[in-house]
Amino acid sequence: MKKIKAVMVGQPNVGKSSIINAISNARLHVGNFAGVTVEKKEVEVRKGEYEIDIVDLPGIYSLHAYTPEEQVTKRYLLEESYDVIINVVDANVLQRNLVFTLQLLDMRKKTILVVNMVDEVEQKGGHIDAAKLSELLGIPVILTSAKEKKGVDEILDRVIEIYHQPKCGCKIYYNEKIEEEIESLAKILLKSPHFTDYDQARFYVIRLLEKDEDIYRIVHDLPIFLELHEALGEAMRRLQLEFDVEDVRDLFADERNALAKSIVMQVMQLPRQETLTDKIDKILIHPVLGLPIFLFFMWALFQLTFQIGSLPVDYLDQTVTNFANWLKGILPPGDFNSIITDGVIPAVGAIIMFLPNILILFLGINLLEQTGYMARAAFLLDGFLKKFGLQGKAFIPLVSGFGCTVPAYMAARTLKNPKDRLITMLILGFMNCSARLPVYVLLISAFFATNSAGNILFAIYIGGAILGLFVAKILRMVLFKGEPEPFVMEMPPYRFPSLKALAMELWIKAKLFIKKAGTFIAGAAMIIWFLSSYPHHPELESRYLQKIEQVQNSEQKAQLQNELAAKKLELSYLGQFGKMIEPVFAPLGFDWRLSVATISGLAAKEVIVSTLATLYAVAEADEHSSTLVQKLREYVDFKAAVALIVIIMIYSPCVAAMSTFYAEVPQWAWRTFYTIYPNVLAWILAFSVYHVLALLGL
Amino acid sequence: MDITDLKIGEEAIIKKVKAKEPIKGRLHAMGIAKGNKIRLLDHTLKKQTWEVDVEGTRVALRDEEAKAVEVER
Repeated sequence: MKKIKAVMVGQPNVGKSSIINAISNARLHVGNFAGVTVEKKEVEVRKGEYEIDIVDLPGIYSLHAYTPEEQVTKRYLLEESYDVIINVVDANVLQRNLVFTLQLLDMRKKTILVVNMVDEVEQKGGHIDAAKLSELLGIPVILTSAKEKKGVDEILDRVIEIYHQPKCGCKIYYNEKIEEEIESLAKILLKSPHFTDYDQARFYVIRLLEKDEDIYRIVHDLPIFLELHEALGEAMRRLQLEFDVEDVRDLFADERNALAKSIVMQVMQLPRQETLTDKIDKILIHPVLGLPIFLFFMWALFQLTFQIGSLPVDYLDQTVTNFANWLKGILPPGDFNSIITDGVIPAVGAIIMFLPNILILFLGINLLEQTGYMARAAFLLDGFLKKFGLQGKAFIPLVSGFGCTVPAYMAARTLKNPKDRLITMLILGFMNCSARLPVYVLLISAFFATNSAGNILFAIYIGGAILGLFVAKILRMVLFKGEPEPFVMEMPPYRFPSLKALAMELWIKAKLFIKKAGTFIAGAAMIIWFLSSYPHHPELESRYLQKIEQVQNSEQKAQLQNELAAKKLELSYLGQFGKMIEPVFAPLGFDWRLSVATISGLAAKEVIVSTLATLYAVAEADEHSSTLVQKLREYVDFKAAVALIVIIMIYSPCVAAMSTFYAEVPQWAWRTFYTIYPNVLAWILAFSVYHVLALLGL
Repeated sequence: MDITDLKIGEEAIIKKVKAKEPIKGRLHAMGIAKGNKIRLLDHTLKKQTWEVDVEGTRVALRDEEAKAVEVER
């Protein structure tokens, strides 16, 4: 078995991940906007006697890396060792993509060009001459459509083929005058024993002429640096005079742009016509109608999430309760019976029943990502976000935050400016993630009228977002003075989402959710159950059992049983812990149970639901309140429920999200700030809300 | 004249990109470079954010950046 290492590079949103998904059976997340992949991902594929390792790198517009995720790709290209570069370009915007290809070809590595989305060009009546393009560039060219799985198999054949060739056949050269300067500078570099390869020296010289700091750092410590530095300065001056430019960087940009333009003219015909994207954009980003339409979409999403998602909830809830009761009768009585039927099943069941809600919300976010509307929303909201010290692109991680905070923290890498990025990450927690959805749906169905439920849910999400904006503004004014970074963003064309990809993403989400419920949350539920059932108090129990036997009336019996169960819970480890922390939460109207549930939410937000299910399960004897919703109505007052919602909206996200933040932000000061301030803010706001409601007499 | 002087739907040729690095490099990478055709597609209500089409790529940019792109009808 021979091993080949290939790297997949290209500008953002050209379909690199889609191609990998089409070649292998990988399931990389795809979307229709720049910056879906922010981390390198590796996939292995077999072809004949070859094992080809393909590294999917985040999209990069230019070797002048701009954002942190582009820096990842650039570093990899410069520093790691690999055999073949697979450069993917978007056929629709070939000229712009070729400018980057020309930068890549400066490296003179073995490269193949994959022209993707060729189906879209053909649909518009266009045509690309692959043979001619290959001849002009001197590298193999493949026309593909990842969506229709056309041409993707050929990629691996070409990779193997070029792997066996001695070197890259690239033929691209710049203007003679430029090449002369490059050659004489490269000769100086080659004097150093570190350089033996002319092609590499040529590449470094080009990068140096373009003031690439990463390369500058590499040559800085070489003994020939002084000579090189001087010669470089003179060469730049000569070129600036010769071509009448202020900066040699502009010269290279113009050269490549002109080259790309002339290549495209020779190989491609594309009739210019009003596209569907033009037509849709006239409405969706209309100066006046754009924003109201956007708000309507969001509102509709939360309406659907609640209304359709909650259709099966009551049914599922009753089924889980019945199943637990049935199992209780079958299993031998004792601790095992109790841990399963009182601990795990209600806990896991309480969460599984929210799967429909989560899937609908996720589908909505996925549609935003795949159709290309996400970038439009960023466009519409940029002016608004700027007022709060953010920029339009921050919208993308913020919306991902409605799905899950963990990938959202990583998506913030598409922001270049470290201040912008940190502000965005600090307020991301206020974008309610889908794990919080079960808690909201539970509390809303327990404490609000059904017909207003969808609106309440929308208000919670909007409220969180608005709070986040205000906090961003305050952070910008107090801690991060200065202007947000300029906003320059590509707007992808609208694409019809691939139903297969959508179904696949939903399936993966459902699987992950059930797995999380069955492992992590079941485990957390077992711990909660254990802590709420131990230690035993034999003398308390026997005292009550005596009392129960003494009374004849069955109603009294039930009442005593309840009293016993409540006493036992209060004396348990969890009860002791709850009593200990109760003073902190008492001003918010929480009893010790709500306090414990709040703390347990730090493990994962769904755990709040399962903890409530365990802690309020004790009052089993009352037939009128068999489901959790009914029990909550009985034991928790309205003001405290609202205060709980406020707390969940604001306080620290789950441990997984927190550790992602720590991984992304190395400074201890920010980590500490991040760990403390949301909790303080949550408490203060919950306290205010509770007391305002009390004043209103609710 | 610059991008903000164009009317919606109007086409022009880019003469010069006056922005500072690294923004200039970014604009170049998006296709906003000397000699390319540019068409104004849209702007937001307060003309703070602008959308243009350069050689098939749609790019959104802010007022400050749009003003830094010199064009000629």
